[in-house]
Amino acid sequence: MKLFNNRLGAVVIALSTALLVSACGSQAANDTTQAAAEGGKVQIKVYAQHFDEDTKGPFDYAVEELKKEMPDVEIVLDSAVQDGYQKLKTYAATGNMPDIYFTDWTTLQTFAKSKNVELLDDYSATTDYKNNLNTGVESRLIAPDGHVYAFPDTGIEFQLLYYNKTIFDEVGIDTPIKTYDELIAASTKLKEAGYLPLSIFAKEKWITNAFYNGLVTREDSQGLGALDEPGVTALPEAFVTAAEQMKNLQTAGLFDANATNTNYDQASSLFYQGKAAMFVNGQWEIYSSTEKLGDQVDWMYWPAKDEATFEQAKSSINGAGAPGGYAVSPGSKNKETAVEVAAFIAKKSAEYRYTKLGSPIVTPKVDKEIAGDVPAMMQRVADELLPNATQYAKALSSTEIQNAMNDNTQNMLVDGFTQEDFIGNLNRTLEKQNQ
Amino acid sequence: MNKYLGNKAALALFLLPALILYSVILIYPVLQGVFRSFYEWDGLSTATFIGLDNYKELFGDPLLLTSLKNGALFALVLVVFQIGLGTVLALVCANPRTRGRRLLKTAYFIPVVLSVTVVCQLWIAIYDPTNGLINRLFEMLGLSYRQNWLSSPTESIIAIAFVNAWQFMGYQFALLYAGVKAVPEDYFEAATIDGCGKWRAHWHVTLPLMRETYKFCFTIAITSGIGAFVQMLIMTNGGPGTTNYTMTFMIYRYAFMESNYGYACAVSVLLVLISLAATMIINRVFDREQTA
Repeated sequence: MKLFNNRLGAVVIALSTALLVSACGSQAANDTTQAAAEGGKVQIKVYAQHFDEDTKGPFDYAVEELKKEMPDVEIVLDSAVQDGYQKLKTYAATGNMPDIYFTDWTTLQTFAKSKNVELLDDYSATTDYKNNLNTGVESRLIAPDGHVYAFPDTGIEFQLLYYNKTIFDEVGIDTPIKTYDELIAASTKLKEAGYLPLSIFAKEKWITNAFYNGLVTREDSQGLGALDEPGVTALPEAFVTAAEQMKNLQTAGLFDANATNTNYDQASSLFYQGKAAMFVNGQWEIYSSTEKLGDQVDWMYWPAKDEATFEQAKSSINGAGAPGGYAVSPGSKNKETAVEVAAFIAKKSAEYRYTKLGSPIVTPKVDKEIAGDVPAMMQRVADELLPNATQYAKALSSTEIQNAMNDNTQNMLVDGFTQEDFIGNLNRTLEKQNQ
Repeated sequence: MNKYLGNKAALALFLLPALILYSVILIYPVLQGVFRSFYEWDGLSTATFIGLDNYKELFGDPLLLTSLKNGALFALVLVVFQIGLGTVLALVCANPRTRGRRLLKTAYFIPVVLSVTVVCQLWIAIYDPTNGLINRLFEMLGLSYRQNWLSSPTESIIAIAFVNAWQFMGYQFALLYAGVKAVPEDYFEAATIDGCGKWRAHWHVTLPLMRETYKFCFTIAITSGIGAFVQMLIMTNGGPGTTNYTMTFMIYRYAFMESNYGYACAVSVLLVLISLAATMIINRVFDREQTA
C-alpha cells in the first residue's frame, strides 16, 4: 500500500509539474505575441468580415492603403465568423475585445448598454466622416439616440424585385408591373404557363419581412421603423393593407408551396435556370443575376395598390439605414489611433466597393471614378433610383418586434395562416413592447 | 477489493477529478442558470434583480405552450418508433434462426454514425413537396394524396421527429439488443417448454426482465424529445413562424437572438425541471412495476 501511495504521489507531482510547465509556456507564448510588433509599430487588432471575395477585397485594399497612410500601424486581423456576432459578444463578456470590430446595430445597442463600444461623437475623425457623407445615408452613421458608434462603409442596402424579361415577353406580361392587382394577374399567367411566378428563399425569415416591408413602404415610407414609436400598440392601417395584399398574393400562387423551406441556393437557382420568373433579394443580387442571366434580367419598383400610389411611392426605398460598421473598443490601449484607423478602413473599404466593384451603395463620398464595367441594372440604380430617392425606410430597433415580424411574415406564406392571425400576433407584441 | 475500497484517500483522489469536472461543467452552470433566472440580464451589462418576473412572463408566453406541445409530440414519436420498433428488431435479431443477423444489426446502426446535418439534408430532399421521394411515390401509385411535409403548421413537427427517430433508432436498438441478450436463455426455454408461443414467451419473460434497460431507453427518448433542437434548426429553422419551436429553441431565441439571457435562463430552469420530473416519473413507473 505504501508503494501504491508513493507511486500515486509521484503521479500527482508529475501532473502538477506538467501543468506548471504548460502554464509557463503559455505565458511565454503570450509575451512572444506581444513582442511581435516590429520596429515599435502600433498593433491594432481588427475583428472584421474576411471570408469571401466581397469581404476580403475591400478589407485587404483598406489595409494596403493604411500601410501608406499610417506606416507605424500594423493591423492584426481576427476574421469574423458568421455567427450573429456571438464570438464578439464572448470577447466582450470575457474582456478580450479587439481594438476595432465590425458589427451591426443590434449588437451595438447591447454594447452601448454594457460600455463595450467607444462613443465616437467628439473625435475629429467623426466630424470628417460626417462632412463627407452621401445624400440620405445619415442614419448609417448617426444612431437614433444621436450618438455615433461605428463608421459604416456600405450605404443603405435595399430590396428589389428582379424579373426575367424573356419569360415576361413569352407569357405576355407588360412591364413595369405597377399595381398589386397587376402582380396577381401576372402571377396567374405565369402559373398557367408553367413557371413559378416568384422565387423566394423564405427559409430565411428576413426576406419575407423585406417583401412585406416593400408593400408597406408604398403606403408608409417609414416602413417597419414606424412600429418602434412608443404608443404604437396596434398595426397602423398601412401595415394592415400590406398584410392583406401579401396574403392575397400567396393565395394567388405567387410563392412556391415549399417557399418556407427554400434556401438562397435553391431559390436563386430556380431564377437563374429560368424556372422562376421573378426573384426578390437585395441590390447586391445584381452582380450574380447579371452573371447568370446577362441582359435577360432587370429590376422593378415595388407595386402599390393603384397607379397613383405607385408613382407617388416609387422613390421610397425599401431599405432602412441602421448604424453599423467599424466600432472601437473603449478598452483599447491605443484608442485614439484605433478611432482613426477605423474611420480610415471604413472609408477605404467604401472606396474599393465604388471604384473596383462599381457599387454606388456606399456611405462616404468617393472622389474617384466608379468602376468602368458596372452592370446595367446597377447603373440604373445609380442613375435612376438613388438620385430620385425621396426617403429610405426607417430601421426597426426593437429586436422583439423584429423577430415577431420575421416569424409572422414567414407564416404568411403558409396555407391556413390568415391576415387576421398576422394582425392579432403583431398587435400582441406591439402592445407588450410599446405600451 | 476491500483493501482498495478501504483506502479513502486513494478513492477521494481518483474520484476528485471527475467530481470537479462534473461540478464545473454541469452543477455550476445549472446553479448559475437558476440564479440568473431571477435577473433581467443581456449577458453583458449589470444584471437587475426582478424576482419571479421572468417566470410570470414565461407562463404567459404563447411560445411556451407551442414548445411544450411540440416537445411532447416529439417524445411520443421517439418512444413509439425507437423503442417500439427497436424492441421488435432486437427480438428478431436475437433469434438464432434469423438469417443475416450481423448484416441487419450493422444496417440498423449505420444512421447513428451519420452526421445529423447530412441526415437532415437527406430528409429535406425526401420531404420536398414537388420532387421529394414520398410525394413522388404517392404519384407513382396513382394516389392524389400530397403533403407539404415541412411547411404544415400542424404536421411538420411529426415529420421532423420522425427524422430523429429514424436516425437514432439504431442506438436504442443496440441497447435493447444487449438487454435481450442479457436475459438467460433458460427462462425463455422453460416458458416455451411450458407451452408458451415464441412472442408470448417474450412478452411474459424477456420484456419484464429488461425493465432496467427500458427505464434507461425511455429516459433517453423522452428527455431527448423534450429538449430537441438540431433537426428543427436545420430543417425548418423553427418555422414556419414559430410552429416548430421546442423549449431549447426558445432558449436559443431569447439568449442568442434577443440577448435576453435572464429570461432564457428561466426557460432553461423549466426545461431542467421538466426533464427531471419526466425521469422521476419513468423511474417511479418502472420501480412500481417491479414491486408489483
